[in-house]
Amino acid sequence: MSLEGFEVAVVGAGPAGSAAALTLAREGVQVLLVERGAFPGSKNVFGGRIYSYALKRLLGDRWKDAPVERFVRKEGITFMTADSSFSIEYESKDPTGSFTSIRAKFDKWLAEQAEKAGASLITDSRVDDLVTEGGRVRGIIAGQDKIPTDAVIACDGTTTSLARRAGLATMLEPEEVSMGMKDVVELPAERIEERFGLEPGEGAAHVFVGDCSGGLRGGGFLYTNKDSLALGMVVGADDTSTKAVPSHTFMDRLRNHRRVQRLIRDGKTIEYDAHMIPEAGPKMLTRPYTGGMLVAGDAAGHLLNNGYTFRGVDMAIVSGVAAAQTILEARKRKDYSAQSLQNYERKLREEPALRDMYTFSKVPRYLRNNRLYNVYPELVCNAAEAVYRVDGNGKRKIYKEIRAQTKGKVSTMSLIRDLLAGARTF
Amino acid sequence: MSAQQEEMSLDKRLALVSFSKDPEPFIVVDTKLCVECEKKPCLYICPAQVYSWQDQLTYNTEGCMETGACLIVCHKIGAKAISWKYPSGGKGVSFKLG
Repeated sequence: MSLEGFEVAVVGAGPAGSAAALTLAREGVQVLLVERGAFPGSKNVFGGRIYSYALKRLLGDRWKDAPVERFVRKEGITFMTADSSFSIEYESKDPTGSFTSIRAKFDKWLAEQAEKAGASLITDSRVDDLVTEGGRVRGIIAGQDKIPTDAVIACDGTTTSLARRAGLATMLEPEEVSMGMKDVVELPAERIEERFGLEPGEGAAHVFVGDCSGGLRGGGFLYTNKDSLALGMVVGADDTSTKAVPSHTFMDRLRNHRRVQRLIRDGKTIEYDAHMIPEAGPKMLTRPYTGGMLVAGDAAGHLLNNGYTFRGVDMAIVSGVAAAQTILEARKRKDYSAQSLQNYERKLREEPALRDMYTFSKVPRYLRNNRLYNVYPELVCNAAEAVYRVDGNGKRKIYKEIRAQTKGKVSTMSLIRDLLAGARTF
Repeated sequence: MSAQQEEMSLDKRLALVSFSKDPEPFIVVDTKLCVECEKKPCLYICPAQVYSWQDQLTYNTEGCMETGACLIVCHKIGAKAISWKYPSGGKGVSFKLG
């Protein structure tokens, strides 16, 4: 393939990059989509769920061709101590709002949609640097190839070397990233449906908090695929490395809990995956644009963990589209200067799907409160034990039981402060 | 079918992942600096235990899952000994079910 004559280079064929390339190609822009993996998705890992709206917006009715594993009917959370657990489950009236998927299939498929629209995809290509001229970005350098373009969209993931090279980011702090790991456990579809109480094609998403992270910042997750379970842990990079607990040991901690053991029983682990997750939000970049370049997806912190929903792919798609639209406007003006691209930031703030990042911007700080992991899950379980246990020794009223459980674990002041801060944060 | 509990270990897990070796060294550690490193955070953050310690720091990039977290903890908590980039195009880890 000749690498001449491209107007825009999109770096990284994940959801942000493919959505950007697709949007540009549709408008007739000559766009090159560059992926370092052997195929799009081969370097990517997530928990397991995609919110459908972003795909519907991007593709209309054709979103239904996406490689869906299961549509999520059930949402659940479990608070756990070493030997007890308290679970809540919600059954949604409409499961089509989100679906579980596998990135090696999904990202590959989305990149194919960009190709169908006219984008040129090259794989096995690591972008090493940017071409800069006259104080702005004018292309990319991949190995021996210097590829001149009018503009670049960097969708190169959490480690985003391009944003750093362009001076938009410094290295993230350990408390701003988490380590995500997962085991994929094979289990026949019928057993998954029986075990989780699902109809064929329906899935479940579940979160685990408490004992599985050993009191450190983090938690577990489980998503049902068609005939496998994605079971994983996310732990704070600062916590696991400064407290000297090897990150992978949390996987066994989760798996060996009775509550989880029963869910994966008779399953066979067929893959182990890991990925770093940025938790700082959009403030991980000083700004998401510079002359000749925009940043989207994980690379720009466009993802959201607000404690009960974990979003990345939908936000990546929406931010990729916003970046592409910004380029289209700049193209009309034939001006790719920083000033011409600054509209991108306004677009991001006005886009309702991304506004959630700003609405929940105080969440990362709140989630750094370790009482959430080493005090409250145990409190919930012990209160439930006290409420449900009948041992003939006389029972107290529920409120008194719960108050008794908090004694010595958390001061009334801290409890009230955490509750009030929670109400303001979520 | 009787209920079976599968025993897992990191070695077993890593045997399930596909890697294509990159002849180019994409992680280089100035291990002299590690001797003075108090916390040695790389030993704990890496989900594939690329780094290990036996009187000195040793590392085996073949099991690297390319999270990039070692670079951050080394430079912010450790001895700033690790230089890291992604493996060459098409090389390194390949996830099928990520």
